[in-house]
Amino acid sequence: MSDATTEAAVQAIVERADRRFQRSRRDLWVSMDRLFAALMAGQWVFGLVLALTVSPWAWAGTERSVNPHVLAALGIGTLLSGMPIALAFLRPGWVVTRHVIAVAQMLWSALLVHLTGGRIETHFHVFGSLGFLAGYRDWPVLLTATLVVAVEHFVRGLVWPESIYGIVNPEWWRFLEHAFWVVFAVSFLTVLCRRGVREMRTLEERGAELEALAESEWRKSSVVTRAAS
Amino acid sequence: MPDVPDAAESTRGNRLAAAALVVWAVAVVAAFGMLGRYKATAATQVPDGPPLVWPEESALPRTPGRPTLVLFVHPHCGCTQATVTELGRLLGRVRGPLDARVAVVRPEGVPDGWDETALVGRAESIPGVAVFRDAGGAEAARFAGNASGFTVVYGADGRRLFAGGLTSARGHEGESFGGRRIVSLLETGVADRGDAPTFGCALASTAAAGEEGTE
Repeated sequence: MSDATTEAAVQAIVERADRRFQRSRRDLWVSMDRLFAALMAGQWVFGLVLALTVSPWAWAGTERSVNPHVLAALGIGTLLSGMPIALAFLRPGWVVTRHVIAVAQMLWSALLVHLTGGRIETHFHVFGSLGFLAGYRDWPVLLTATLVVAVEHFVRGLVWPESIYGIVNPEWWRFLEHAFWVVFAVSFLTVLCRRGVREMRTLEERGAELEALAESEWRKSSVVTRAAS
Repeated sequence: MPDVPDAAESTRGNRLAAAALVVWAVAVVAAFGMLGRYKATAATQVPDGPPLVWPEESALPRTPGRPTLVLFVHPHCGCTQATVTELGRLLGRVRGPLDARVAVVRPEGVPDGWDETALVGRAESIPGVAVFRDAGGAEAARFAGNASGFTVVYGADGRRLFAGGLTSARGHEGESFGGRRIVSLLETGVADRGDAPTFGCALASTAAAGEEGTE
């Protein structure tokens, strides 16, 4: 086999591996979008049940009316879940879809903190969500999520600090301390994302080689079969 | 239909998606703003406030020589769950003597068991807290309490030290100006103020109160 032929064969395998890799990544993103669509629907139901369980009514003596928390769970919950679900089905695999999902997921943390009356335990939702988002194996998604947390904490810390930090007069840089722990988690998740992508590429390169080998064998056997007949 | 949309269709789709995302972002920010505003809206305080000295005609017990805290609650107010949690934390922070009372407002004409709620059970479970029923809201009216979560603290000498709420927002746990001021007043005798906003359901119905309720 000449050098030119070998080079062409190698190039074909590289291109095949790249196509397989791109298709795998897209399949992963589409599947993650669908997974998050289900999570968004689940969170919507959970938020509503939470609001209906914790404080369904606002009272004035013996009179009662629907608690605005229920309306918030319904309205804000629909907003936060509606757009990601729509994008997951109308534009699955689109880069904007996963970033919108990251934004909505982090804002779900904020809504749940509101609905649970600021319970510190609810803040764990942030870290769970970052872990889920890492499933995209696309580190800029984690960056978007981190930015949302930082901006949300910064703004809320300015206008209503005790709702986040549990103290009434935090230092102005307090949001950085909270953001640090998010960055701490995100930096490790980013490493895992990049490693996952590398493994995915290696897998697809091997797949492409095997495919090329199988095709070559099939061509050889076809020639032999034709010659025999 | 082709699998891959043509360039014009794709651009149109992207513009539509971008417009929808902008509207979505504005709606989300506005909705969170409204929620924050609701949570930060305090009950209107009664102009004259609670009596400056413990009213002798009050049916609530007070031991002379010991500070007394009274928290008024609406037994069904969801926001007051956070206040009861903060009451428990507050009692853990106060080192000196403090008699804590929770007055559960029971409006006229409600059926038996109306005021037997999980919230009242939680208040009863806090060590050192005595829970009383406030029939018709007479004690709440005497102490100028109009919203669930309203708290008054009287010093050992019977003088009023504090009147207001124990949470930083409606139904939100965490440190609050009210809690800090009570601890400071009881331990050092001074604080920057002797009040704090109260966040909670109206203790009286709007008709009975003769004015707009707090919810």
